Amino acid sequence: MKDFANWIAATPPSVWIQTHEAWVMPTVQSIHITAIGVVLACVLMMALRVLGYAGADQTLVQTQQRFGPWLTGALWLLLGTGLILVVGEPARELVSFSFWAKMTLVVMGVAIAFGFKRQLASLGPDAETSLDGRGWTKVMAVVTLLIWIAVVVLGRLIAYDNVWGALSPASRA
Amino acid sequence: MTITQILEAVQTSGLATGIKNSLLLFPLLEAAHVIALGLVFGTIMIVDLRLLGIASTNRPYSRVSADMLKWTWAAFALAVLTGSLMFTTNARVYFDNTFFRFKFALMALAGLNMLVFQLTAARRSADWDDSRAAPPLGKAAAVASLVLWVLVIGMGRAVGFTTTGAAAKETAPPSSIDFDDFLNSGPSSRPAAPPAAPGG
Repeated sequence: MKDFANWIAATPPSVWIQTHEAWVMPTVQSIHITAIGVVLACVLMMALRVLGYAGADQTLVQTQQRFGPWLTGALWLLLGTGLILVVGEPARELVSFSFWAKMTLVVMGVAIAFGFKRQLASLGPDAETSLDGRGWTKVMAVVTLLIWIAVVVLGRLIAYDNVWGALSPASRA
Repeated sequence: MTITQILEAVQTSGLATGIKNSLLLFPLLEAAHVIALGLVFGTIMIVDLRLLGIASTNRPYSRVSADMLKWTWAAFALAVLTGSLMFTTNARVYFDNTFFRFKFALMALAGLNMLVFQLTAARRSADWDDSRAAPPLGKAAAVASLVLWVLVIGMGRAVGFTTTGAAAKETAPPSSIDFDDFLNSGPSSRPAAPPAAPGG
């Protein structure tokens, strides 16, 4: 991975970002954080609806239809800006424990969101009665929220990967 | 007591020293701040999109707003708390930072925008509560809100890059890149920290 990171760092796009990093990195990170805000708000609102703390006038399907597309859009924006950040500072991202732990949780968070959408679609008109207010659905809402909160924490910890001690590959380099 | 003495007292306090001496506290404060500001922005955006007639149009404005704003304020309170704690670790540098000042000016404008909206378009919201979108004044407030909060996020990130957070403190070596100089076109009284330090 270290070699791969070094290879990326020598490519023209990476070199360009590195020579302009004084404004490119803060700008791209700001867009990344803005998209994180959209993801967190969408996930929070769907979770609160499932838990019964918000959106009481909306069905589960209506709630998913309102926030699902914005969640997807924001995730694409995060992927795009995230790729720019990786290309700009490949070793900092790829040779870190926080980054890979974050990616693992992102995959889990996306899988749960997709699973929820598919389940609502496959249940059709029965979705509300079979999912709403069920214990399992509520547990998944809390788990999803915790996953995305952990994603943000791990994202910030990329800048401080030394906190992981021996777990951080940078400490072994 | 001058402002400099107050800031000095803040950053040498037991609280500030405790945060600075911890490996994890400052990064966790930053992460909590990102979560809080993300939710502030995200929940405000939901209301703004309703005002603009872009999303949640099947619900009355009052419903969306009532559903959202308590979470916005809770997240804002968390952002203020975590932001204040981070501020204590390097009070003088933050206070003097141009991006920090811009950020607070922009937040003041966002607050003013909200106040004007509440006193004008929102006051007559009963007239357009079920309409697809708010009247022009409400839409203008929504656009202003979105633009201002995105800029607040950008300024906040720039603060991190130009102060480097807990790691740099005031002993940071002078850097070839001084963002204050960029903006003020004059020499800064204090050396800026290197942009590539951990806080970035």
